[in-house]
Amino acid sequence: MKQMKPGTLDYRHICLISIYWIRYVIQGGPGLVFIMVASIFSFTVAQTVLTPVEMLMDQHAEKGSEINRDQCVTAIIKLVRPIIRWALDINDESPPITFTVMERPIAPELATTHKQLAIQRDPCPDPWTTFLIYQRPALLSVIFLVLIFGMPLLIPFLAFNQTSGDIQNKNLRYLLLRTTRLNIFLGRFVGTAIFSMLVIGTIVAAITWYINIKIPIYPLSSLVSWALYGYVILAILVFPYISVCSWISAVVDSPLLSLVLAQLIIGGIPLFAFIAHFIWKPATNIKFLLPWGLQNHLLHPELIHSVGTMASCLLYTIALLSLGYRHFENRDL
Amino acid sequence: MSEEKRPGGLTALAVLNFVFTAIYVFSILSMITLFGLQLVKPFHEIDAPHYEAIRNVGKPILITIFSIVVISTIILPISGVGFLKQKRFLGRTLGNAYAILVIVNVVLTGVMFDPKIGGGFSIGTITGIIYPMLLLILLNTTFKEDFIN
Repeated sequence: MKQMKPGTLDYRHICLISIYWIRYVIQGGPGLVFIMVASIFSFTVAQTVLTPVEMLMDQHAEKGSEINRDQCVTAIIKLVRPIIRWALDINDESPPITFTVMERPIAPELATTHKQLAIQRDPCPDPWTTFLIYQRPALLSVIFLVLIFGMPLLIPFLAFNQTSGDIQNKNLRYLLLRTTRLNIFLGRFVGTAIFSMLVIGTIVAAITWYINIKIPIYPLSSLVSWALYGYVILAILVFPYISVCSWISAVVDSPLLSLVLAQLIIGGIPLFAFIAHFIWKPATNIKFLLPWGLQNHLLHPELIHSVGTMASCLLYTIALLSLGYRHFENRDL
Repeated sequence: MSEEKRPGGLTALAVLNFVFTAIYVFSILSMITLFGLQLVKPFHEIDAPHYEAIRNVGKPILITIFSIVVISTIILPISGVGFLKQKRFLGRTLGNAYAILVIVNVVLTGVMFDPKIGGGFSIGTITGIIYPMLLLILLNTTFKEDFIN
């Protein structure tokens, strides 16, 4: 049997390994835990955001009156605006930023109500908040913002054991008779990424469907298009964090230690940056070691800006995967 | 030997079963407290929307739902042990039974209870149904051949 040269990339092998890995991730347990944790987190966030609006609609239903769309929208704006401004770190002292998007017309179906409310409620709107609340379905915007913050912290539950368990049990040596380390490393990364995309897609679809049937104040086309966009940005967002877990999993022999280290690094970097910046202001840039520093820009009003952020996330992924593979290629298995 | 060959997913399901058992125990304690409050002040004397909603449900439905919760609480840890030991009846059969009971309970609560007291269809319904659905799918597909005892 002809052995492959080290570093040979074979897409069929990667495909086979990733399909096997998707099945194993459920059989092995991490996938199950990730499904439960991600679902409970996402639906709890959705419930927190949607319940006040549903209660308002129920009150109207009890009184026998028709749902007042303006009142619903006002309630939504009142609810989501402080959350969005806090998440994006926008306050009244923030320097004014001009965006060309402010000159674009609001979607016709949202125009009248939202534009009037924008002028009434927020005479000096910041463009980013205006975009997320008035130009896109606000409920989905705030849910996506919280998921952008929370999903990276949940990814280690799925991705912690890409290679560490097999390194510990010395099982990889049998696989290496038939394929290369590169194919194994990339195949498992791709399998983990696909599984995470499936779970995130199901969650986003369920939340969007629920909003459409229970809070029908947004046109379906706006809801679906924003949901699709949100799904794409969440899917791309988790790639760098999966690649961090790939790297840690290749370095560490123990799956449990891999999980702990992954959580410490992914969660610890923004926390450390936050605490350190009180002592030394430039320390806040530490969070750029991972996409924490720029991931909110995935929901930026300017499309070129958000596409650039997506490209940055992919660059982070490539860089971290390269570092991880470098270690995996040279270590004793 | 069977413990060495046990898939990690079954272990994860067993752990989740034990975690949910603890949650169910708290639910039962809170239900008992609620019914116990009747001894202090009967529901029909309390003039509040939530208590009126509970009164409207009716005793038979409340007892049925309480019974389902109690049976689920008993089945859950037993099936968790069954997952760990890979027993066909204790693990797979009881696991399926638990999943069906919970789905029935969620549907019953949704239909019979007022939204003020957790009825109707809400995001909570979706959250409550995730684990039973996952159990039903996994026990009958992925882990179907793993119950060897």
